[in-house]
Amino acid sequence: MHKTHALFPFSLLTICYGVVGVLVVAYIGLIAVVMSSAVLTVEFSQSIKNDVAAVALLEGQYLANVAHITRANVAALGYTKPLIKTFVRAESVTALR
Amino acid sequence: MRAQFRSRLRLVLAFVFFVAICILVRLYFIQIVHGQEYSQKADRQFASGGSGLFDRGAIYFTRKDGTLISAATLATGFLVAINPQILADPEAAYTALQTVVPDSISRDAFLAAAAKKGQVYIEVVHRLSDADGQMLTAKNIRGVQVLRERWRQYPGGSLASQSIGIVSYGSGDTLGGRTGLERFYEGTLERSGDSLYKNFFAELFSNVGNLLVAAKDAREGDIVTTIEPEVQTRLQDDVAKVHKKYSSKESGGIIMDPATGAIIAIATYPSYDANNLQNVDPDVLGNPLVEHVYEFGSIMKPLTMTAGLDAGVMTPATTYNDIGCITVNTARICNWDLKARGVIPMKQIIVQSLNLGAAWIATELGQEKFRTYFTKLFGVKTGIDLPNEGGALLGNLMKPQQIGYDTAAYGQGIAVTPVQMIRALGAIANGGSMIQPHLASAVRLNSGITRTLTWSQTTPVFSPTAARDTTTMMTAVVDEKLQDGKASIPTMSVAAKTGTAQLTDGHGGYATDRFFHSFVGFFPAYSPRFIILLYTNDPQGVTYASDTLSSSFLDLVHFLIDYYAVPPDRGVSLETATTTPL
Repeated sequence: MHKTHALFPFSLLTICYGVVGVLVVAYIGLIAVVMSSAVLTVEFSQSIKNDVAAVALLEGQYLANVAHITRANVAALGYTKPLIKTFVRAESVTALR
Repeated sequence: MRAQFRSRLRLVLAFVFFVAICILVRLYFIQIVHGQEYSQKADRQFASGGSGLFDRGAIYFTRKDGTLISAATLATGFLVAINPQILADPEAAYTALQTVVPDSISRDAFLAAAAKKGQVYIEVVHRLSDADGQMLTAKNIRGVQVLRERWRQYPGGSLASQSIGIVSYGSGDTLGGRTGLERFYEGTLERSGDSLYKNFFAELFSNVGNLLVAAKDAREGDIVTTIEPEVQTRLQDDVAKVHKKYSSKESGGIIMDPATGAIIAIATYPSYDANNLQNVDPDVLGNPLVEHVYEFGSIMKPLTMTAGLDAGVMTPATTYNDIGCITVNTARICNWDLKARGVIPMKQIIVQSLNLGAAWIATELGQEKFRTYFTKLFGVKTGIDLPNEGGALLGNLMKPQQIGYDTAAYGQGIAVTPVQMIRALGAIANGGSMIQPHLASAVRLNSGITRTLTWSQTTPVFSPTAARDTTTMMTAVVDEKLQDGKASIPTMSVAAKTGTAQLTDGHGGYATDRFFHSFVGFFPAYSPRFIILLYTNDPQGVTYASDTLSSSFLDLVHFLIDYYAVPPDRGVSLETATTTPL
């Protein structure tokens, strides 16, 4: 103890108080971070689920449109089959020829 | 002094330890013992005694360009629950509910629920939209709770519903996949409720291992199928048209890539809307394409022909004498029109669909070889990724009577599932090897990794030469016979065969006026990209499959050629060509 006093200008008990204080503050900070993280996680997950539901709505509309087109009577709409079909060699779609 | 200091130090340390232990115990109770409850509370934002929000992986269709479209996903909204013990004015509450969501519940049902004073939580309305839920929440009615809710949503409604499957409560109180892919991939699609609420302390206390290796992330994910939504819609539409036109008992179809076994479309009728199961007949929830067996009739003949060619008992140039009818084991078997053809080559057995020709091949093959081929084709299940797959009924091939083999050669007396049939016929399209039909192509794991599923199991049955010779005969069916040759496509070789089988009469015999119609075809014939199987069970007022299914088959062929821009395989010069479409 005397040696400690010789090395530091304050007592060991003071050091302990200091360490405890720092730990308590760190612990409270950690709890705050974890709580914030949990809240954000819940909000993000709910946000993702809402987006998924919104996309599903659009996908439902797309599939309904596909069904509508499939069931359409094209003849009744005034369309006719082409008289001829011409087959041509496929060209590259890139600019590099 | 030193002793006093030590005792103070011990006191402080003891206090610190005590506080730490108190905090640890408290944390343990909050995060481990009551962790689930708190996570639910946080997510719902309202107090509730109910279970956690439903969560489950998605199932996707795959468009031809690789875009994923949800086949099964999750919808989010609200449910309304009441607490009869504190609901002071049920009439006012019902009126408020009606102003937001009219006709969501009858007045009598609501008041009956409100009268149950012994209960504290009764759910009265489900699946409210976000807007409606928030509007009702804003009314702040005492005794009425508006809670978050999630449920399974199928954007396609009835699209491939029997194969996608349903989620429902089983014997317990947990939602799970009950049919189709929902059931088959339950282990991948199901979610454990706490996956979204991992936190440092909970993991530290209970799941140290999961911090290092996330086992759930390697198992849980979404299923990507090979079903193409636009092709599926077309097939479903065609199947429904045939079914309604001929008042059939049941109809179905499969479109598959014969080289890989990837099922591009799979449909049955009657079907159901998976989003609304309230009035659905439980019998239609199953998938007859996988679970039911049928006697397919003459589409079996190409398999008999290929077996004969492969075994070397005849060649395409071999002839036989067709006398119209023969008697085998006291039973009389005849051609469909009872007419004799005389001495004709093998090709005519397929083109004219001659029962006696198929029986002749079966006789030439001998019982043991015939049994070996057909057991290889149908003796084992396909292993398709759908539940409750049925097995073929091949009992007649285990008996010594030749009649069983002769009738099996033209598709009567043995029964197989449609998926077994398309796999077997796919061997002809695929150079003699059977592949494994499948619906799922990949699993998108929660870890972010996409795991491609391998379906590389192939079963060689026929030689490529035998398969090609039969393909030539089947191509002649379209070019020469179907719709009197008008169905032929000048720029595309299409191989096909019709099948008309008599239905059993329930007394050990066959009805003379009830039939099972089937149709199989693949194209381009010598390098097929698609094989199509169609059937309709017990169509009314029509005898032959060529009358019921030809137009549907040809519609699908033309649609697929256009949709996938399948290049011509004949009738076109290397530079350009012009043809007149039929």
